[in-house]
Amino acid sequence: MAWQAPAVRAVAGPPRAAVTTWLGWAALAGALLWSYRGTAADIGAVLGPEGLAQMAAYGRRLFPPDLSAPLLREVAIGASETFAISFLGTLLAVLIAFGLVFFASANLAFAGLLFEMERPVVRGLRLLLYGTARGLLNLLRTVPELVWAILFVFMVGLGPFPGVLALGVHTAGVLGKLFAEVLENVDPRPIEALQGTGARRLQVLAYGILPQVLPHFVSYSLYRWEVNIRVAAIMGFVGAGGLGQRIHIAISLFLEHQLLTLVLAIYALVTAVDALSALLRRRLL
Amino acid sequence: MPPLTRPPVAVPFPGSRPSRFARVFALLFGLTAAASWWAARVDLPTLFSREAFRNALVFVADGFPPALSPTFLFFLIRPALETVQISLLGTAVALVIGFPLGILATASLAHAGPLHELDLSGRPVRRLLRFMPYGLSRALLSLFRSVPELVWALVFVRATGLGPFPGVLAIGVAYGGILGKVYSEIFEAVDPRPLEALQATGASRWGVFWYGMVPQAFPHLVSYTLYRWECAIRASAILGFVGAGGIGQQIEISMRMFNFGEVVTLIGLLVLMVAGTDALSLRLRRRVL
Amino acid sequence: MYQAEGLTKVFPGEIRAVDGLDLKIGAGERVAFIGPSGAGKTTLFRLLNCTLKPTAGRLWVGGREVAHLHGAALRAARRRIGTIYQQHNLVPRLPVIHNVLAGRLGTWSTTRALLSLARPVEVEEAHRALQQVGIPEKLYARTDELSGGQQQRVAIARALLQDPDIILADEPVSSVDPTLAAGIVHLLTDISRATGKTLVVNLHSVDLALATFPRIIGLRDGRVLFDLAPAAVRDETLAALYRGAPATGPAEGALDAPLDPATSCRPLPRV
Ligand SMILES: Nc1ncnc2c1ncn2[C@@H]1O[C@H](COP(=O)(O)OP(=O)(O)OP(=O)(O)O)[C@@H](O)[C@H]1O
Ligand SMILES: [Mg+2]
Repeated sequence: MAWQAPAVRAVAGPPRAAVTTWLGWAALAGALLWSYRGTAADIGAVLGPEGLAQMAAYGRRLFPPDLSAPLLREVAIGASETFAISFLGTLLAVLIAFGLVFFASANLAFAGLLFEMERPVVRGLRLLLYGTARGLLNLLRTVPELVWAILFVFMVGLGPFPGVLALGVHTAGVLGKLFAEVLENVDPRPIEALQGTGARRLQVLAYGILPQVLPHFVSYSLYRWEVNIRVAAIMGFVGAGGLGQRIHIAISLFLEHQLLTLVLAIYALVTAVDALSALLRRRLL
Repeated sequence: MPPLTRPPVAVPFPGSRPSRFARVFALLFGLTAAASWWAARVDLPTLFSREAFRNALVFVADGFPPALSPTFLFFLIRPALETVQISLLGTAVALVIGFPLGILATASLAHAGPLHELDLSGRPVRRLLRFMPYGLSRALLSLFRSVPELVWALVFVRATGLGPFPGVLAIGVAYGGILGKVYSEIFEAVDPRPLEALQATGASRWGVFWYGMVPQAFPHLVSYTLYRWECAIRASAILGFVGAGGIGQQIEISMRMFNFGEVVTLIGLLVLMVAGTDALSLRLRRRVL
Repeated sequence: MYQAEGLTKVFPGEIRAVDGLDLKIGAGERVAFIGPSGAGKTTLFRLLNCTLKPTAGRLWVGGREVAHLHGAALRAARRRIGTIYQQHNLVPRLPVIHNVLAGRLGTWSTTRALLSLARPVEVEEAHRALQQVGIPEKLYARTDELSGGQQQRVAIARALLQDPDIILADEPVSSVDPTLAAGIVHLLTDISRATGKTLVVNLHSVDLALATFPRIIGLRDGRVLFDLAPAAVRDETLAALYRGAPATGPAEGALDAPLDPATSCRPLPRV
């Protein structure tokens, strides 16, 4: 090899992008345009001089925050309720999801290594169980939290308790799906080795599977708690406790100073939970 | 003569005593749970009371069979499309807000790590100048995502009137905050060695960003954005509760009128839509990864 | 070209990777560093290419003290130093051509860099550089689909395109077969001879170093053990340099362990 390069031959241009790629981008652009018209969106109204002036005026009206003693007391109660809803709701969700998920992951319920030698009848029955658990988790997950909240308010009356139930039930569906994904991705080699020693299924679970998945379960649960503190803050919109009700009232009645206090309270609460969850994640994992 | 086999020396099982952290954690966890139990006014007897059972039964009895009359179904087309539109445009707005702020909020691009070792160490003023946009964008992102979508929606309904547009803005702002934070985390998690090599060629920070960070992060960015779009479908259904369009508004109306047959239909529709976006975004994700 | 006085780099945990190094390398010189794994060669190269800040001591590049460089001046200095990394440090998902053209980033404006991502410019130059290292057909291949040795050659092509005054090559031939290794080292020395570029390499293959470079520096525990012409390097000198190192040959430095491209990003929480 020498430093003097051989004469440069004509170099081919880059390969062309596939037609489907172009079609994909065109479809996306079309969909956005369609959405822009369909939602009566008007960027000008928001970012135009008038919109900006309006927003600035609204921002100014928020100040100063209302720090009167009665409101602060109410905010404190609301915040503690919101926290309680998020905490217990997440806890409930973890319990439900943990109870269901072992039936809802194919490799633990009926398929794969563990059931290779099983009789077809037993596997059929197990498949049924699996389908039920999956379906239940899907149902819990797709019904939005607020709809669950309305239902539970209808069942047990107003207050934070229906909020806990709604959050717990919906989050159970979400966590169940996440946990099942983790379970289906466990490393099968230790399972095979354990089974080869003649271990029972529960023993395989305890020695080969749980050690692999528990850290992920904890991590997802903490993550979901961070989401849930935000959701708990709006449960009050349908009468299910926490800060939400006050916020609804403050916005509807144009009590902007109170609104700012409430938003600040949510901000503080959310930030605190985020920090706590990050701390726990570091220490527990 | 000593016996040939001596009894084994007992090795104490290490760590049989939980660490101090574990004990403190367990105690605090218990206390928090108890306090929350009290603050949330948990009332199991009511939950399992005959009356609660009867209320649930009423719902189930009224909800089935669901409302499937052609006029009602036909009437639902528009809100359903509107929900899709809100989610699409909302995610687009979130992208427009989140991407630039996410770049600014990336520590490894702004001031931390080996990329800046020689440039910034021992130069506090320069470091501060670099830190300011970073800190500012972090604070902004955190504000955007701390305030729940529903509250944003209410504020925007006040500002722009009822209809789907405030829903778009609410999702755009709240999800912009989430996307920005996650984008910055993705950028910070890329393999730093190619970045160092690019910088060593004399590339500017933009060069390092576009040639080193974006290509590595791209699939993760797309995948997370698609995932957020799935969430936006669900969220835009909720936003209707405060008058921001979509099928949520219908759910709210039917609920208030105790028309549970319609509610079940609406929820079924939502389930279908969510499943549809799930499938679509899964296919798109497979393509980019 | 280079001058170092008491150059020291201490990593957290009192790891003295480079320890009070005095060094002088003239313009156009060709120097090979050899030494056991963990001797601090890579760290020294990262100091020489203006990435790390010395913990103590002073370093001049082309007459300018590195500690005084920042911003645009620092970028300009980096542009004149081309580095070939031990771990290649390529952007995995980018096509080869962009990884090669990245050598130009110090010269290009941001706009040009962005436009080139959409439609590559200076393709001929990139192609020629790849031809020199023997893989012109990989121009548009995805970089993470190449073999280790091919990736190493992409990294070399990137340095060629940068056209620097100083070439720093940290183990440039660790992943290629012996014949190709000799070919690449000769390519680098030919370039240096033809254009007067300073060439500093770091080789685990002692024979190749002795056969090709007029100046050999032995590095151990962050210090210069010897600085000799190849003819003066005796078996005892080498034995002292590698004394106590595992007989199986140099192991990879702990931090140089290749990242699994699939896991180089940590997984994100998905709700
Ligand atoms: N970023 C870092 N942080 C902490 N320690 C480091 C870092 N980089 C290198 N070290 C340590 O500094 C020492 C020298 O490492 P270096 O990579 O320079 O060795 P090397 O001579 O290049 O070895 P090899 O021949 O295996 O590549 C090692 O002990 C290494 O563990
Ligand atoms: Mg090294």
